[in-house]
Amino acid sequence: MLLESKGLTKYFGGLAAVSHFDIYVKQGEAVGLIGPNGAGKTTVFNLITGLFPPTRGTVLFDGKDITGKKPHLVAKLGIGRAFQLAPLFADFTVLENVVASFHLRPRSSLWDAFLNTATYRRNEEYILQRSMEILQLVGLHEVKNNLAKNLPHGYQKMLGMARALAIGPKLLLLDEPIGGMSQDEIKLTRTAIEKMCKQGVSILLVEHNMQIMDLCDRVVVMNFGKKIAEGSLSEVRENEEVVQAYFGGKHAA
Amino acid sequence: MTEKQGQGKLPRIVIYTGLLAIVLSLPLFIQSRYLIHIFNLTLINIIAASSLRLIAVSGQLSLGHAGFMSIGAYTAGALAKHLGWTPWVTMPLGALATMAVAVIIGYPFARLRAIYFSMVSLFFGIGILAVNQVLEKFTGGYAGLIGISPLFSGSKVANYYFFVGLTVLSLCVLYRIEVCRIGTTLKAVAQSHVVASSVGINEAGYRVLALAVGCFFAGLAGAGYAHYNSVLSHSAFNLLASVNLLVYVLVGGVGSFAGPVIGTAVLIIIPELFRMLKGFVPFIFAAIMILVIFVMPQGLAGLPGQIGSWVEGLRQRKGTAHAP
Repeated sequence: MLLESKGLTKYFGGLAAVSHFDIYVKQGEAVGLIGPNGAGKTTVFNLITGLFPPTRGTVLFDGKDITGKKPHLVAKLGIGRAFQLAPLFADFTVLENVVASFHLRPRSSLWDAFLNTATYRRNEEYILQRSMEILQLVGLHEVKNNLAKNLPHGYQKMLGMARALAIGPKLLLLDEPIGGMSQDEIKLTRTAIEKMCKQGVSILLVEHNMQIMDLCDRVVVMNFGKKIAEGSLSEVRENEEVVQAYFGGKHAA
Repeated sequence: MTEKQGQGKLPRIVIYTGLLAIVLSLPLFIQSRYLIHIFNLTLINIIAASSLRLIAVSGQLSLGHAGFMSIGAYTAGALAKHLGWTPWVTMPLGALATMAVAVIIGYPFARLRAIYFSMVSLFFGIGILAVNQVLEKFTGGYAGLIGISPLFSGSKVANYYFFVGLTVLSLCVLYRIEVCRIGTTLKAVAQSHVVASSVGINEAGYRVLALAVGCFFAGLAGAGYAHYNSVLSHSAFNLLASVNLLVYVLVGGVGSFAGPVIGTAVLIIIPELFRMLKGFVPFIFAAIMILVIFVMPQGLAGLPGQIGSWVEGLRQRKGTAHAP
């Protein structure tokens, strides 16, 4: 098991944003996490990546307990994340964004960087080359010298994914990777995600748009912070509780 | 990161050697001891303002930088006066002491960001003055610390060359930090600490690093000032001094490495040129600031590029005027 959360609970004041939430991702698996707005999907991501600590429950990654660990330590263990909003360094160019994201592997010491040693120059050369490969993969190599803040929304999201890839993640958390994208951009992103899956990166994906959910081996549905269904996409679609959550039940109508 | 348009024409090395040659030959043309004294103060402030900018690059606007300078100044001054140590030892020690304080308070400070950091740095800058009173035995308190052994007794010109060397050395170190990966990482942290930590950057650690290195040079500038001036008065490092440093950086241009150098030089030397209008100096100061804020958002350092775009704009307007 690559990622496993047990009884994950987060209270904001009296509100249980996430309660007793269990989810697991196996090595090489792509798992979808869906649910209506405000269901707690992004909070789950924030709990996994350590942006804030859970009220209760544990998160295991690669056999290690990462509950409440600082975000940069979680990243170090191999969890990459593409954010839903503002996923990038706005004042850097596209290429600089990816280069700056290569912080962990390879890692030059502060002295190496300051003294411009051979190790540092070799690392930087490698980073530049790898960054170009990643930009090629997500399809942003042609705009590599544009400022990130000047990119259209869809490209910014793709850049967010490219940045997350720079840490060489074992698990990639994608928060609405195609939200607000044009059809062409969706196609590009889809291809990129498929390629990542082939390279053996496990993926946990939050998305409303069903156009890429078929990439997932398994789907988990949540509502009001709780898991309400789990299974293949077609199984989940048939689930009554899920239909109710999305389209409203008898009372809501 | 981004090249300014005006600088691309001449190789940088030529510009820098030319500038250095001018700076080094200044005492040959200028006999006035007073002006050399002003140049020395400018150089000390350039080190301090540039060190403040490094902290600003990491996304932290310090409002208590003169407070950090005072730690270096009083450490060096007290060691020299009470223990009789030579300036060559007390100055590095003053810088190291400042850096140590920055690291110790850096960690609790690093939990705070943006305006909250500015606020605690402001309180620190004021608080350190109070500490100064408490340690009256060593620092002289309100009466000030007098009789600190001078670097080069009497000779303003020797001091001038010493401070030119110290400034060049400090600027080289700060420049190297900024252009290598450390600088890139600091800028990344400044833009988004959430995104930065998601790629494994210890953002708090890097902000403490920026504060520590920045304060090292602030302490160095303070220690240099102590031995240059021989007297440390209570008011030399007050809130106004901190604000002045910040103004040098902002007017010069926080986005450019040359910003604090240009800003400090302009804001210290220009008021001196209008000395006969002494009463009006604050107004001149204010006028320069307002002008910069409204007309030159990138500061004085961004001026060449800005003039380029103005000229371009004028030319285009003319072009359309002639068109039928």
